[in-house]
Amino acid sequence: MTNSWRNPLYLWDVKDAVEELPTIDYVSPQEVWDRTRSSDAVMLPVGRLRYYYKWSGHGAALWNRLRYWPTRRRVLNIRGEYNPKTLRSEKTIVDKRPIWWLLGLLALALAPLFVPADLQNTLLTAGATFGIYAAINLCWMLIIGTAGIYSLATYAVVGVSAFGTAYLSIQYGIPWYGLPFIGAMIGLLSGLIIAIPATRLDGFYYALLTLGLNELCRVYAQQSRLFGSSTGGLYGADSYIPQSWDQHSQSLLAYYACFVLMIMALCLYRLINGRRIGRILRMAPEKREAFAEATGVDYRRARIFVFVISSIGLGFIGGFYTAHFRGVAFSIFSFDTVLLGLAMLVIGGLGRAEGAVVGTAIVILLDKILISMGPVRLLLIGVIMLGVVLFLREGLFGVKAQFRAWRDKKKSERRSTRAVKGGEMLPEEVTETKNKDLSYWRRYDKMQRDYLRTLISSELIEEHQRSPLGQHSEPLERLLLYFRRAPMADKYAIAVVEPFKAYRIVALSGHRGVAPRVVEDRIYGSQNEAYHGVFLRRVQDLLES
Amino acid sequence: MDFGFILINALVLACIYGTLAIGISITWSSVGLINLSYGFIFAASGYGAWLCAQYISTFGAVVLMAGILTGALMGLLVCALAFIPIHDKPSFTVRGMIATLAINLIGTQTLMWYFGPRAKSLPEIFGSWKIHLGHIVLTADKIGNIVASIVVVTLVLQWMRSSRRGLEIRAMMMNPHAAAIVGIGVRSTGFYVMAITGGLAGLAAVLLSQTYYISPFGGLTPMIKGVSIALCGGLGSVRGAAIAAVLLGLNEAITSVALGGQYVLITQFAFIILILLVRPRGIAGILDKAREA
Repeated sequence: MTNSWRNPLYLWDVKDAVEELPTIDYVSPQEVWDRTRSSDAVMLPVGRLRYYYKWSGHGAALWNRLRYWPTRRRVLNIRGEYNPKTLRSEKTIVDKRPIWWLLGLLALALAPLFVPADLQNTLLTAGATFGIYAAINLCWMLIIGTAGIYSLATYAVVGVSAFGTAYLSIQYGIPWYGLPFIGAMIGLLSGLIIAIPATRLDGFYYALLTLGLNELCRVYAQQSRLFGSSTGGLYGADSYIPQSWDQHSQSLLAYYACFVLMIMALCLYRLINGRRIGRILRMAPEKREAFAEATGVDYRRARIFVFVISSIGLGFIGGFYTAHFRGVAFSIFSFDTVLLGLAMLVIGGLGRAEGAVVGTAIVILLDKILISMGPVRLLLIGVIMLGVVLFLREGLFGVKAQFRAWRDKKKSERRSTRAVKGGEMLPEEVTETKNKDLSYWRRYDKMQRDYLRTLISSELIEEHQRSPLGQHSEPLERLLLYFRRAPMADKYAIAVVEPFKAYRIVALSGHRGVAPRVVEDRIYGSQNEAYHGVFLRRVQDLLES
Repeated sequence: MDFGFILINALVLACIYGTLAIGISITWSSVGLINLSYGFIFAASGYGAWLCAQYISTFGAVVLMAGILTGALMGLLVCALAFIPIHDKPSFTVRGMIATLAINLIGTQTLMWYFGPRAKSLPEIFGSWKIHLGHIVLTADKIGNIVASIVVVTLVLQWMRSSRRGLEIRAMMMNPHAAAIVGIGVRSTGFYVMAITGGLAGLAAVLLSQTYYISPFGGLTPMIKGVSIALCGGLGSVRGAAIAAVLLGLNEAITSVALGGQYVLITQFAFIILILLVRPRGIAGILDKAREA
């Protein structure tokens, strides 16, 4: 030790004072401070805020809203606000989906103009099929997504209606414009029949039952001579496509007719899902029906209502199907049709109209465009379906939300790695502690202890042994000040066993009326020895903490 | 129409479909997966047995074993693809069901792609002898089917009753959460269950191929029959499935005699719907407490 401490009281003839004592070099507390405040956790420049374009809004027009007639709803959900920093009026489009819908439908309406001539026939036929299947899937989405009934008999309803109307058209010569309406009646009837078990059965029991009903329809239609078991289907029904037109005009008319059908299905979806009945059913999701019932929602009735309405829609589509294809084949009842339909729904995401439409588009494209690949294309669709089910929670349209959830999880994981233990609070503890001063105090205390630990040396302990009371060197003085300021609970004290002869170290309880506890059996012969014993214990505790 | 002949036929089919239904039931109640890829497992085990008969041996027991082993293997595959990755994720039941449907689509299309659409037939694994019982003729394959399915199912149930693994599976059937808490591995039990139920499907496939041909999509009808029996018996109940198999077999026999073959499915589903309307959890709703989803 090169450093030494000169006792300023020595000159005043204080008892037992020595002139100079060896002591340690000066240690700066700055170093501990800097070390505690620095963090080696990576701070990634990933923001939490979502980016919205801010449209400028005229002050008077900020609260002006375009609403459409029978309802008080807005065309676009626009939020008007004053920027708190610049005080300018701003408009934010909160929900951009109507814009995307409009652009997408416009693209579909204009698509025939831009189709290359050599692919025209294939693409227009595929487009017409897409329109019909999208309409079916939208109705199915109402049943699965809105009503929460896992029915797999959708194509069965469409098929029954298509076979019925085809039979009537062939036998009684009903014109094409009557077919969708007769189909809707058949759809209503079959919907009512299928709905009976849905009143009692749980989700998956019902799914399995309807799978069986689908198979029942297939087997019955295939065995029945009435429905053309020998020709593989019923053909020869009246069609809305005039035979006298040329090929291109025919496919163009078919394309736009199916497009209109899809728009009608979208309107039905919007009418049911977006209005009162949809709200009611959104309150009663799977496994929370009891709560909905307790709040007075008659969810069973609402579910059956949606189911029957969708079945009418499906019947209508079935009649249109007959009028479109001039008949119907058994393949509409086949298990693969159900599987492909389910693939369409799942790939897009259950419970959204855009999921049904885009999923249908993807599967139809793969199915019709890659038709030269044979069974491999179905294999591809199956692999996509499996991948979507295994990795995506809500299909393609849930990717955004799922990615955000994943990023938030990663962020919170990273945040928790920044926890430095040892007297300081963990981030979770801080959020749960009401007194935020406490966390700062803990941090300060930890720094102080870290610093004081560097001061302890044998010279210091020797100095304290020489004189436990009185003036001390600077490091020892700091240490003793810290020890004396400790809270009363578990603070060491000296108990007199016999005055001037026997002392013992105890620990205070910190509570009035509760006696201190004895820490050790050792008896100290003098007060100073006991003081030093307490000091050693405290140093020990400091080094161990 | 000979009533005795039809009754025996119905009994044979009830035994085979009952085997499949017990598999479906056990899978649902223990691992909570509605396995709709049995159509694929069924067809694949048929092809496995056919490959064995073509290249290894046409001896009955070997072909049967090959079918069961292929089924168990396919069960493991389905478990690894559809159960292990998502069994602890949200809305597992729906996603599991759709995943097994996707596996069914992929699997049957692969079989179709590899083996072609031509149906295959297996050799007669039980020989070609017959017994006259009064005026009813019992052929070897019928007796073999009934005996083999009853013996195997009894063995499996006995194993489930007496072994450590069986105890684990039964614990999972009673309460999966409590089973997981006391240290029964959900994933390892899932593999056992799926292998066993896959093996049962393989057995059913080989037995049924004595009557029908093996084709890529031939597994669909047995799966639907198995599902309806499991549904009627109450998912998760072995006893319920056994009773339902016998009842539906009888229904099939009576309907074909009284109304004609094409009305079998209609009366069958009317019967099932009737039972489910009275007891939404099937016959097992009367017998014991079924698992809640």
